[in-house]
Amino acid sequence: MSLEILISVAFGGAFLTYFAGKISSKLRDILAVFFSLALVVIVSYLYKVETKFLLYNEFFGLPLVIRLNPMAWFFAIAIVSLSALAVIYSLSYMKHRERTDYYYFMLLLINAAMLAIVLSGDLVSFFISWEIMSWSTFLLISYNRNGALPAGIKYIVMSLIGSMCMLVGILSIYTSFHTVNISEIANHMATASSTYKLFLLVIFSITFGIKNAVMPLHTWLPDAYAESPSPFSAVLSGMLTRMGIFGFLLIMFVIVGAENTLYVGKGFFSYHSILAWLGAITIVIPTFIAMLQNDAKKLLAWHGIGQGGYMIVGIAFGTSLGLAGGIFHTLNHAIYIILLFLSVGAIEYSTNGLRDLNSLGGLFKKMPVAFLGGLLGICGLIGIPLTNGFVSKWLIYKTLILGKAPFLAFAALLGTWGTILSVFKFLHNLFLGQLPREHQNIKKTPLTMQIPIVILSLTILLFGILPGLPLKVINSIIVSYGFNSLNISIWGISSETGTLNMINIFTALLVVGSIFWFIFRAARKSTTVDQYDNYAAGAAIPKDKYNYTVEFYAPFYRMASPFLKDIFDVLYQKIAQFTEFLCDTIRKIYTGYIGDYVLYIILFLAFLISAQLKWSVF
Amino acid sequence: MDRNQIRKWLKNLGKMANKYSFHVVYFCTGCGIIEIPPSITTRWDAERFGIIPVATPRQANLFLITGYVSTKTLKAIIRTYEQMPEPKYTVAFGSCPINGGMYYDSYNTITSLDKYIPVDGYIAGCMPRPEAVFIGVTHLWKLIDMDKADGYKRYREDYTLYRANQEQLFGELGWPPLFQNEKYKYSNSQQTI
Amino acid sequence: MKILSIFISPLLALTIGLLFLGISRKITARIHWRYGPPVIQPLIDVIRSFSQKSISHGPFFDFGIILSLTSSIVLIFFLPIGNFYAMTSGGLIAFLYLMLLGPFGIALSSAASGNPNSSIGVSRKFLLALAYEVPLLLVLLAVMTHFNTISLVEIVNIQASTGMAFCSWALILPGVAYFLILPAILGVRPFEIVSAPQEISSGPVAEFGGKHLAFYTLQHALQLFVGLALFVDIFLGGGTLFGLLNPIAGTVWALILGVIIFLIKMLIVLIIGLFINAVFPRFRIEQAMQYLWKWPTLIAFIGLVIVVLIN
Repeated sequence: MSLEILISVAFGGAFLTYFAGKISSKLRDILAVFFSLALVVIVSYLYKVETKFLLYNEFFGLPLVIRLNPMAWFFAIAIVSLSALAVIYSLSYMKHRERTDYYYFMLLLINAAMLAIVLSGDLVSFFISWEIMSWSTFLLISYNRNGALPAGIKYIVMSLIGSMCMLVGILSIYTSFHTVNISEIANHMATASSTYKLFLLVIFSITFGIKNAVMPLHTWLPDAYAESPSPFSAVLSGMLTRMGIFGFLLIMFVIVGAENTLYVGKGFFSYHSILAWLGAITIVIPTFIAMLQNDAKKLLAWHGIGQGGYMIVGIAFGTSLGLAGGIFHTLNHAIYIILLFLSVGAIEYSTNGLRDLNSLGGLFKKMPVAFLGGLLGICGLIGIPLTNGFVSKWLIYKTLILGKAPFLAFAALLGTWGTILSVFKFLHNLFLGQLPREHQNIKKTPLTMQIPIVILSLTILLFGILPGLPLKVINSIIVSYGFNSLNISIWGISSETGTLNMINIFTALLVVGSIFWFIFRAARKSTTVDQYDNYAAGAAIPKDKYNYTVEFYAPFYRMASPFLKDIFDVLYQKIAQFTEFLCDTIRKIYTGYIGDYVLYIILFLAFLISAQLKWSVF
Repeated sequence: MDRNQIRKWLKNLGKMANKYSFHVVYFCTGCGIIEIPPSITTRWDAERFGIIPVATPRQANLFLITGYVSTKTLKAIIRTYEQMPEPKYTVAFGSCPINGGMYYDSYNTITSLDKYIPVDGYIAGCMPRPEAVFIGVTHLWKLIDMDKADGYKRYREDYTLYRANQEQLFGELGWPPLFQNEKYKYSNSQQTI
Repeated sequence: MKILSIFISPLLALTIGLLFLGISRKITARIHWRYGPPVIQPLIDVIRSFSQKSISHGPFFDFGIILSLTSSIVLIFFLPIGNFYAMTSGGLIAFLYLMLLGPFGIALSSAASGNPNSSIGVSRKFLLALAYEVPLLLVLLAVMTHFNTISLVEIVNIQASTGMAFCSWALILPGVAYFLILPAILGVRPFEIVSAPQEISSGPVAEFGGKHLAFYTLQHALQLFVGLALFVDIFLGGGTLFGLLNPIAGTVWALILGVIIFLIKMLIVLIIGLFINAVFPRFRIEQAMQYLWKWPTLIAFIGLVIVVLIN
């Protein structure tokens, strides 16, 4: 089992699935699931293997290398397992749609491209895989053609700007160090000047900031998540956006090196401090914008931006606890945001495309699996103890508080409270409350859609109660960057400044919970009534009108909505419109009248003659 | 008042708790509600007996029918009474629930409340003063001690009769019958309080 | 010692919580020049609720209230009452997050009941929580930065040797801010917005009857206890009294006296809060939010800046 098999299975599987789809759709489904699961098996066999493989010598004179180290393995296993779940989910979700061969091809190609990104050992293969990932994302975002095309175009323009910045960075590295191999660059970085390191950090941060949607570069994300098909939204938010985090880790701790990154600049104006503050702003503002959304997927999209801020704060703060928290939060966020998008997808499937928060309700009676998935996803997103989100957030908070940055800690904690409000609105408006009569007989969720939801829900609880399982891998990543190792046990972290022991909390909740459950059962039995036997001051319940969903936080809406507009979106639209206006004016040179063109030639010759007479240029 | 006699508490906890914690449904059914705010505010303090109004019938165990009952209000009263948890007690104020009172010949009021929901006791007056309300409450305590305040059990046993009376008055009621079949009747072993 | 605390703390918290609820009704009544119910009236109410046969709206309606009461009891394990504390895993951060589970469980139950009054009540509950969390977080961050620890037990122990945090120059402003938002945390007037009987028919508990109401009353008692206890632990020194107990530390007398001093401090804070509760009407939710984001936040922010500058 080596790396070339992995890459060839990944890319080959994508192409094979497309051509299999031309033969029969069942064959394509089977092949898609088979290749996704095969990738999971291969990556899990490569645990704790550190190899390197020369992929192709002499690509424009540069060798292309792929390599595996703990960081690459961690991201690779997350990518392939979560994509496998999305493929399984798509089997039922995309059953009656058109152009499904193209959909599976793109999904598997994105999977392969992400895998190639994390495995690449030099910057050229990194750039090639990054580009493959970017444009196939664009193609899949604009899959539902009507509303999705503007969203896709916004995405691809911003992504291309980011890719061009990365290309500038790679070219400057090549001219400075004459190599693009990542480990060799890391060795040469000690000779570079501080300004050059800052330049490299900033230019790469623009790329990865656009991809990870750090404010103010986040404007492509809400439309893109909302308009793409749900299983792909899941993959997009879970793993694709976090390729930006992978890039940040790469540039900050592998290429430039930890001991250099943390000392670029002075005091507050150092690189990592400004990045942490940008992360803090990214936590607070999008979480409160999410509270005011009426579309379920846009709400989750704004949360995706907000949680990315947690990862940036953890990584940029520069201690081993913070780094562990940031990387762990990447994994945790992937799990529960994918779970939430899959639940919304189940609702879309059953109600034929509805995801408006103002008109749904009461679906927990008809779709219990989707409801449990939504409930556990929300618990993870908030960070309730016993879920994995709690552990990663605890790590980030502890390092911020004990690292004497209480204002950053305040921003992070405030983000949690904004999250609680907006996800409760999400859960309540979709699943709780009264069930409208038109949704009394909706389609049941198929089995292949229930399986990924159940698996992800169990993973949230598993990583919450036994966080040592992923934390061991993360510990080896941190050690490879040169930080101190953390003291990790299977159920928590201990350090001299305070221990986190999830098994205590879990046992306490379980024991006390069962005692109270027994007391509850022993009390007088209660009769179950339906939703129309409700208190309405003695009047009859007006059916379909006795539900509270519109403007769920009306007082906050009135107070805050003037302040919570996405000004960057407006700014970028205005810049785009201005550029279009400018170009439109310039194109008016081409009048189509040949006399004007003759005039231009004569005027230009006259200019050259006068320049020669005056300044003797030639 | 025997609230501070520990032996009685130890003998029958549920009964004593039901006596000394009357939560009243805050539903102003008729003209007599004018006498309730004085009795729960400072001058005639009802809270010292444990009586306090609550907003929903789900949390209540005492229903005060204060005054005449028009047919429109009767529908709301029946719905509210059925939403209360058992054991529950009903007390009617004035003479209108007994025999129609001042409005005995009106087309819009009913003359006998006991036909539609079971009433545990009546307090005479038009309207009774707060002192009369408190004496009524002490009588209700005595009835609970003697196990005679069993309006809710009568409702359950004779539900077909009550439902027939209600349907005769209203025609089509908008809700299904509360107790569906014979098995919901109380047997002797189920009387807990 | 820890085994003892696991059994004693929840029982103590439940009895004292119900007693405090009764004391608040009695003192409010006396301020209103009437007699008021006996102090054990909430206990009678709970027993009566348990004896009633009520309705349920489904399994999630039952599950939410059980989750809420469970998390409140587990929260008691983390709270140092005098010298009793059972668990310290995770410190103040885990404590804050477990405090979230109580309202979350009740919100789940209320929303599953399908009554829009409950949903309005829950949305107001969360908005009020967001409103008081902003100054509360600033206050707690000031305390944690000043004492340089995230463990609640250590905060109490440091105050045993250096005196009450409320009386130290660095933490006087956060203390004042915390006292200003304490009525909002406890849910007493003028911030009794969530369970407003007249406006939204008791809000989240509109459909709770019988055993659900009993569990809710117990959870409310525990929430009152935890709210007061947190203030006493962080700012008034927990079970210590200006270092007077240090000579007899470690004996049984120290334990009992510590608990008694703790409860007396809680009672004093409760009574001061009740004086405000008895005479004020209720805020609207937007008035409450504007108030809580104006003065307490400003005072807490200045306090945090002072603490950062001192350290």
